[in-house]
Order: sequence, then C-alpha cells, then structure tokens
Amino acid sequence: MNNQTISHLRGFWVVLRKEITDNLRDRRSLTTMAVSIVVGPLLMFGFLWFAEKTVKEETDLVNAEAVQLPVIGAEHAPNLMNWLRQNNVEILAAPSDAEESIKSGEHRVVLVVSEDFTKSFSDGSTAPLRLIHDSSISGLEKIGYSTVQNALNRYGSQIGAMRLAARGVNPQIARAIQVNVSDVASPQARNAQILTMMPYIIILFIMAGGMYLAIDTTAGEREKGSLEPLLTQPVARPVILLAKLGATIVFSALTFLMVLIGLALAMEYMPIEMISLSLDPATIAKVFISCLPFVFVGSALMVLLASFTKSYKEAQSYLGMVMLIPSLPLVMLAFLSPEPSASNMWIPSLSQGLIIIENFKGDSVPLSLVGLSMIASTAFAALLAFIAIKLYQRERILG
Amino acid sequence: MIEVANLKKYFGKVKAVDGVSFEAHDGKITGLLGPNGAGKSTTLRVLYTAFKPDSGIALIDGRNVEHEKLDVRASIGVLTHGAGIYERLSARENIRYFGELHGLTGKPLNRRIDELAELLDMQDFIERRSKGFSQGQKTKVALARALVHSPKNVLLDEPTNGLDVMATRGLREVIQRLKNAGHCVLFSSHVMQEVAALCDEIVIIAHGKVAASGSPDQLRSSTGEQNLEDAFVKAIGSEEGLV
Repeated sequence: MNNQTISHLRGFWVVLRKEITDNLRDRRSLTTMAVSIVVGPLLMFGFLWFAEKTVKEETDLVNAEAVQLPVIGAEHAPNLMNWLRQNNVEILAAPSDAEESIKSGEHRVVLVVSEDFTKSFSDGSTAPLRLIHDSSISGLEKIGYSTVQNALNRYGSQIGAMRLAARGVNPQIARAIQVNVSDVASPQARNAQILTMMPYIIILFIMAGGMYLAIDTTAGEREKGSLEPLLTQPVARPVILLAKLGATIVFSALTFLMVLIGLALAMEYMPIEMISLSLDPATIAKVFISCLPFVFVGSALMVLLASFTKSYKEAQSYLGMVMLIPSLPLVMLAFLSPEPSASNMWIPSLSQGLIIIENFKGDSVPLSLVGLSMIASTAFAALLAFIAIKLYQRERILG
Repeated sequence: MIEVANLKKYFGKVKAVDGVSFEAHDGKITGLLGPNGAGKSTTLRVLYTAFKPDSGIALIDGRNVEHEKLDVRASIGVLTHGAGIYERLSARENIRYFGELHGLTGKPLNRRIDELAELLDMQDFIERRSKGFSQGQKTKVALARALVHSPKNVLLDEPTNGLDVMATRGLREVIQRLKNAGHCVLFSSHVMQEVAALCDEIVIIAHGKVAASGSPDQLRSSTGEQNLEDAFVKAIGSEEGLV
C-alpha cells in the first residue's frame, strides 16, 4: 500500500496544472481572453477614430464656409468691411436688437461700429468697435467668433504699423516683444488625454482575466462539493490555496499580455491621426514586467473574496464590485494627472497606471520608482494572500 | 485501524458529536448507523481532518487526526457526502488528479485507474468528460478517486446515496474486496439493510452519542430482540429518521 505524502512543491504543481487545464476548457475564461485582444483595442480606438473623423469633417466644413457677421453701422467703416470680406467674412444687415439676437442664438457674433468710428479713425486716435458674443458657447460654434476677432486684430495692427511708417517710425518699435512658441512635447506626449484611458482598460481586463478562475477554484469548488475531497488530500491547505492563486495569476497575466499586444497592433494599423502612438516589443515587455505585481494584487484580492463567499453567484456579485476598487485611483489619475513620485508610486493600480502612461508616451519612469511600485504591490498582494490562507484554514471554508 | 475516544464537536449550542467512542479494525467493515442529524457525518469529518475536535482523541493507525493531518490524510481514502467531481475533466483525469496528490505518477497510476475502472464497472465512461454524468457515475468516479492510492483506511459517508440497485451491489462488492485485502473500512449510513448486510461491527449513533455497538449478534443479544431491526429501534429509542 502506497500511503505517502508528497512535497509542498510537487503538490503545488499538481494543483496548479489541474486548475490551468480545467480552466483552459472553460469557455468563459477563454472568451474573456479573446475579447481582451480584440474588443479592448477596438472599443478604444474605434471610438477615437469615430470622434476624430466627426470633428475633422465638421471643422473643415465650418472653416470653408464664410462667417456670417451682422454689422451695425457698416457704413461708418467701408475699408474695414472690405478687409473682413477678404478674410472670409460675409457682412449681413444688422438685426433690430443685436444682444437679443445673440441670446436667442439667431446669430453667434455681431459687430457694432459706432458713429464716431470714422472721426476717431481719421484723427489717429483709437477707434472703438464692439463685438457682441456669448462666451458660454463652445465647440464649433465658437470658430466664427475667433475668426472675426483675429481678422479685426490683424486689421488693427496693420493700420497701426502703416501709421508709424507714415511718420517715419519703424513699426517694430511698437512691438516691444515678440513671443515665438516652440512646442517640445514629443508626438506621443500630445496624446496624454487619450492615454489616461489606457490604464483603466488594461487594469479592468487584468481583473476580468482571472475572475472566473478565482471564483471557480474556491467558491465554485465549494458549491460543487469538490472542495472537501480536495482538502482531505495529503497536501497542506496553504499550498492548495497558493496553487489556485498561481493559476489565477497565470490567466490574469496572459490576459494582460494579450491586451498589450492587442493595443500595439491597433496602434500600428488603425488609421488615427489624432494620436501617434506606437508600442514596440521592448516597451510591451517593460510594461508587462513592471506591472506584473498588479496582477498579483488583483488575483490575490479576488481569491481572497472568493474564499469567504458561499456560492458562485455571491462571489460573482462581490467581484463585480471589487473590480471597481482598483479603478478608483485611476480616476484620480485622469483628473489630476500627477507625475510619478515617491509619494504616489507605492499605491497599487495608481502606480501601474502611471507606468503605463509614461511608457506609452515614450518616456520612462525612474527605475527606483518602478522598483517601489513593484515591491509595494507585491507586498500588498502577499498580505492579501496571507489573509486568504488564514481564511482557508477555517473550518467554515467547507460551508 | 481507527480509534475514537470520547470525541466531542459542538457547533455553538448544537452538540453534533457528544462523546463518541469506538474502534474500527483492519480487515473488518464497521458501520456508523443512525438517523439523519445523529452526528455520523461530523464524526467522519473529524476523522478525515476537515474538522478539529473540541475534545477527545481520534487516531488513525496510531496517528492523531488533529496534529498529524498530512500523514493521516495520506493513509485514508475518503468519499465525502455529496462528493463533487470536476465537470471539465474526464473521469480518468479526475481520478489521476487525486492519485498525483498522493504521489502516484505515470504508468503505475494509469494501471491503477484501469484496475478501478474495471472493478467499479466504469470503462464505458472513463475517458468521457464528467459534465452530464448521472449521480451513480459521479459517485463511482468519487469512489475510484478515494481508492486510487490503495488507502489503508477507507471512510465512506453515505456511499450508496443516489446509486441504483446494480451500482449498490457493485459498491458492496468493492467494500467486501477491501475488507478481504485487509483494509479498515468505516462507512456511515441511515439505511439499516445496507449496514446489516455488510458490517462486521455496527456503531449505532443517536443525538451525538453512541447508543449501542458490537457485532450484529451482540446487538441482538444485548437488546434481547431477535430481529435486527427491532434491536436498532430499541437502541436508538425511536424509529425517527431510519429507513
């Protein structure tokens, strides 16, 4: 008779291998992984592509059309009217009540030329113009206002320069300074706004990738009555739990890798001009390794929860809520866009979010901060795993 | 060899097991008989190390179930109540998994599974995925899983639950063979005929206590009843919960 105990390591491998085989045959887990490589990027870039296309088409349309500008007292400034017409502005007859027509939305902008415009203009003093608009209007409607304003400013400085020249003064004198703007942001960095969405999607998929396994290996197994026979095998309970956690981590990590590859492919082949990102294999590897500790945290969190819920259904509803927890720090990321520093890189999920953003931007996070993130998250995961082991030792685990 | 002395296990105010003592010897079949809720399953669960006893001692082959869990688990084969199997694994994979947890591998393990498949008449479905198995098929897989490492001591909690007549006969034969091979077999049941037909020793449990124990003959003579059924009823004090 062969009544022997096996080593912890061997027990770990046997349980891990079984959980992986079992889960590979589970359609839900595989679907989640397949979805992660296709739907994630599609969702994200499809939306961006649509937004870009719409905005671009409408902007072109608005720019091509002449701006409709009702003018009160157009007869006082015929030269100005000509200048405006040359600048793609169509002069319209004045409405009866200018301010009311703006408020009602009939017109977006109205120009008022006062009677003393001609006199002030020929005197060489400052000639008053009044532009009426509604500053609460945003988006494309605002383009008309800024077109008119720009045209007026250019007209003013041109006339001013001519006056100085006529008096023998170099017009440059009046321009004390000239500001030349150079934008040094790398092409990737301009996509920062879009980038803040990335960690959210990635971290959500990391959690989803291990979720079914986490539930199935604990709450699910208890519900089906296979946990009790398993726990009467000559393998220590912590070993069994760690092996189940290990299997969850494997699937979570695989999903993570798939999402990264999916995003890289999408960035490469999707026709989006708004963002010009690319992920090379080296960056993927770097992000994957630096963020792996979050996979530990997510998996440990789910296994922990699944080990004190009584049934599959209960675990599922709890985990649905738990999936939101890691996304909370990411909301902060979107609103505050903090820089990676020692004061925030210890926070799980936030630090991984920052690593993802910086790397996608083409920048890199200092190695010491990446180390801090990895160590802090791994320690946190170990704590969660420890609590789960303690829960597993209880008799109530058998329900 | 299983020795239980004054075993107690309470759940809050419920005295599930309240001072149970008995012995189950090698080469013998011992039956725990009692109505539903008498404490049979709890006793077995303490024996197979799922529960810690509140007091008392339980030894399996001289090893304490409370302090030498892993060695105890290695020396027992357990069919738990309502045993579940993994639906996405085939019957063979289910059995192999537990065999591997006991340190069996490769060809010897596969040979052992073939042996059990023949013994329990499961060749028809041994390679099939377990989803959709009947209760009888599931119980057979669970039983084969419990016996894969040829455990010295076999603990079966209500093994005939959900089995049809043929499967029950098959199970009886398996239990007889285990006995003849020198195993210590302990099983619980609330079905009197089953216990009467199989057991060398009977431990009657009611309300967490041992009401009577001994061989069928001893039980008959100690209760003064010629009929074993009447002996049971007399020992328990009521007919409640017995089939």
